[in-house]
Amino acid sequence: MSIQTAGPPGLECVQVSKTFGSVTALDRLSVTFSAPATGLLGANGAGKSTLLRTALGLSRPDSGQLRVLGLDAVAERREVRRRVGFMPEHPCLPADLSAQDVCVQLARMRGLGRRDAVRRTSEVLFAVGLEEERRRPVGSYSLGMQQRTKLAQALVHGPDLVLLDEPTSGLDPAGREEMLTIVRRLSADLGIRVIASSHVLEDIERTCDEVVVLRAGTLAAQRPVLVEQELTGPVDVLVSGDVGEFARALEPLLAPLGIRVAPTATGDIGLDRSSDAALDVVRDLAAARGVGLQHLVPAARGLEDVVVDAMGVHGG
Amino acid sequence: MGAAPRAVLHDIRYSRYSGSLRPRSTAVASFVASSVRRPLGLRRSAGSKVWPFLLLAVAYLPSLAVVAVPLLVPQVTLQPTQLISYATLLATNSVVLLAFVATAIPSMLTRDRRDRVLSLYFATAVSWVEYLVGTALAALSLLAIIVLGPLLVLFVGSIATADDPGRWVSENIGDLPRIVLAAAVVVLFHTVLGLLVGSLTSRRVFAVGGYLAVVLVAPVVTVLLSTVLSDDWPLALDPASGPIRLAAAIVDRAVSGPGGLAWVVWAVVVVGGSAVVAARYSRGSDA
Repeated sequence: MSIQTAGPPGLECVQVSKTFGSVTALDRLSVTFSAPATGLLGANGAGKSTLLRTALGLSRPDSGQLRVLGLDAVAERREVRRRVGFMPEHPCLPADLSAQDVCVQLARMRGLGRRDAVRRTSEVLFAVGLEEERRRPVGSYSLGMQQRTKLAQALVHGPDLVLLDEPTSGLDPAGREEMLTIVRRLSADLGIRVIASSHVLEDIERTCDEVVVLRAGTLAAQRPVLVEQELTGPVDVLVSGDVGEFARALEPLLAPLGIRVAPTATGDIGLDRSSDAALDVVRDLAAARGVGLQHLVPAARGLEDVVVDAMGVHGG
Repeated sequence: MGAAPRAVLHDIRYSRYSGSLRPRSTAVASFVASSVRRPLGLRRSAGSKVWPFLLLAVAYLPSLAVVAVPLLVPQVTLQPTQLISYATLLATNSVVLLAFVATAIPSMLTRDRRDRVLSLYFATAVSWVEYLVGTALAALSLLAIIVLGPLLVLFVGSIATADDPGRWVSENIGDLPRIVLAAAVVVLFHTVLGLLVGSLTSRRVFAVGGYLAVVLVAPVVTVLLSTVLSDDWPLALDPASGPIRLAAAIVDRAVSGPGGLAWVVWAVVVVGGSAVVAARYSRGSDA
């Protein structure tokens, strides 16, 4: 399931493989990033950085085809370079230059005229909150300011797609909050496609529309961040006291409503539907038997469960 | 009456850029300009300007002095080129040249590796070919300021101090292409040698040390070899004086050159060095 936007996908991999010696970084990976903002998740060594580097042309795939904004990442690299912005995770800024000089220089190297480069630099530095400090050498900046400078240079030439590698890495809570707000704005307000790699699920949930999980260089999961919950869908119920006895008492009361009761894998009481009448029955029975209703939640699995399973955190 | 507004509010919030982009040559030219500015300390602190401008001052001092003396002292009737020849000026400035190359040229490559900015450049700004061409052009421009500039000052100063400038120009215009060619021989050699050393490491100190080792140790070795063999041909292998002697022979036909072997060394360094630098960057990544 993926979220579509107009135009070619931001990134499209077809059977892409990449090995480094005996290590397989990408293993016939096929995935399409078509959402306005996609979060790329995976454990260390899952292939996230290799995928980003290959998309940017910094590394050639051994086989398969990789398209960026509909352009071949290898054959049409010049055009890809023009239309893409990149914010690396590692420090990548000349320490002796100011944020203003860095942005102007990179804008000019990307083809902007001097006047446009200066104007755009002012705009992006203002947007990332660095307008007051723009003339100081980058080497004297805090980590948060360096991160913002990296983001500013990624945006200065007006890219159609920005690739963000761990955009909140090393930021304090306030800086992280600001960075997440800016990143969300890129796709939501400015129409720039975003692919953000991160270890932090919460960052992805707040900034992206879709999440792609890699594991051992393969696609482990891809799903929207927000899944609309069906109001009358399956629910899980847990009560205090004897759960089995409560379930046995509940079953005949719900049968006339056509709702089946079954135990879940986690020991809860599973209802296959949850109409208002059924929820009233549960409430009334709990009150009548004097038991506490510990939880009553939709049975659909949350993003975190999907991601954790896909990343194989439990050894899967 | 509709008066023109006295103040205009501009919305400086970020917006998408929709303007057209310049040709790649313009982008590379801007990279060259910024690469020239940095070793000279321009748009940087005052302290970072001291060393490069000190070297520039020393490089230009001899030619400015010999031009100034006939201009300011009427009793001196000698031409600047009679006070110091082009070949002598090249030799005089060779130490300044080596000091400038050592501190400026290798670090044009090492600083980008040190700052890890190459992934940014190659991913979103320039190809590795554009990067190397831009860096080489910047290095050539910087060294031309040091090598060609003083020679041109001497040439132009000689016109200014001549009793009959028109006649002087008509008699000596042939020197101009020789000056440019001689400077090109020196500048090209040291540009490639400096960039070659700079491409092999990301540590500036190693690059500077490596370049100095080549231009300071090699002369000692070649002189020793020449003494042991009782022959002059090993002197042609000296990377410090070899190109200067080649240039001196070009610009002043009275000076005997270091021989064909020096041209072979020159060609090997320029062609081979360029090939090695290209090979170091041809993957187009920062790895």
